[in-house]
Amino acid sequence: MKKKGTILAENIMFIILNLVFITILMLFLLKQGSGAIVIEQSYAKQIALLIDSGQPGMEIILNMETAKKVAEKNGIDFGEVVNVNENIVTVKITSKSGYSYSFFNDVKLDNLYPVDKDKDGIDDSYRIKISGYNKNE
Amino acid sequence: MELMIVTGLKFQGIIKMNKRGTDKIISVYWFAILILVAGGIYAMVYLFYGHPLDVRDVEANILANKVADCLSKQGRLNSGVIISSEDVKSLGKEYENNLLGKCHLNFNTEKEYDWENEIQYYIGADFYVQVGSDKPVFSLSEGNKNWLKYCEINREGEDYRRLPRCVERRFYSLGEDNAQYLIKIISIVGKTEKNAK
Repeated sequence: MKKKGTILAENIMFIILNLVFITILMLFLLKQGSGAIVIEQSYAKQIALLIDSGQPGMEIILNMETAKKVAEKNGIDFGEVVNVNENIVTVKITSKSGYSYSFFNDVKLDNLYPVDKDKDGIDDSYRIKISGYNKNE
Repeated sequence: MELMIVTGLKFQGIIKMNKRGTDKIISVYWFAILILVAGGIYAMVYLFYGHPLDVRDVEANILANKVADCLSKQGRLNSGVIISSEDVKSLGKEYENNLLGKCHLNFNTEKEYDWENEIQYYIGADFYVQVGSDKPVFSLSEGNKNWLKYCEINREGEDYRRLPRCVERRFYSLGEDNAQYLIKIISIVGKTEKNAK
């Protein structure tokens, strides 16, 4: 009886260690996939490239559902996630991080703000409106 | 017969003992394999997410398109790019002296990695009259000229990833006097620190 019990305990330990290992691996992969740094970089570069290829009068609605989820989890207001200062876009979805990328198109932008693109009652997209060129001619 | 059974039992006992030992060895190997798999996954994830997204090619393409639009529309050079007076043609002064302003470009970048001391873009446009000629009749350029040398060795591959990215565009356009020009545009984007590792 004792012997059998020992075998059972060993097996249980083996299964538990396997489960712990797989759980840690899954958590690591999930954390990496939804990492704030990757999301910030991706959105900052996307927005900069959209502005670069835009022309005055264009209104761009960018779906930022992923950024909204992470920002809210980190206690950041979605309305403060994207900022444009001169020609530099900054995306910030955690209190510690933030990623900036510049665009070369010398345009004026209206204030950026979240909008509800899908009409589902959730403001999970951002509106980027190019109002005109800066006067450097 | 009895001896055989005893031997058989002894033999069975040995097998049992060996089996338990083998089980333990297998579990040790199992964890070694798990650690190897975990190491492999970690390395792959690190390689994938550890590298920044490289958008320089897209950026250089957009820049080249923007300059092309700035110089020519619908196959004709924009007014003021090349000025003809009394059979003498010259570059428009506004384009020559203020290409960035005329094309609505701003080469300021974020103040990181010492970028404020080194412009991260270059744009050049050469105008050729004869096809096949290697000497342009007019040239416009702005930005970091030091990077032009990299365009000749700009190739795909790991070794060249940290070099600035070059894009070259060629198109034909008619001047105000219906003269045909071949325009070669070269755009270069640096920003290596944020796009390559």
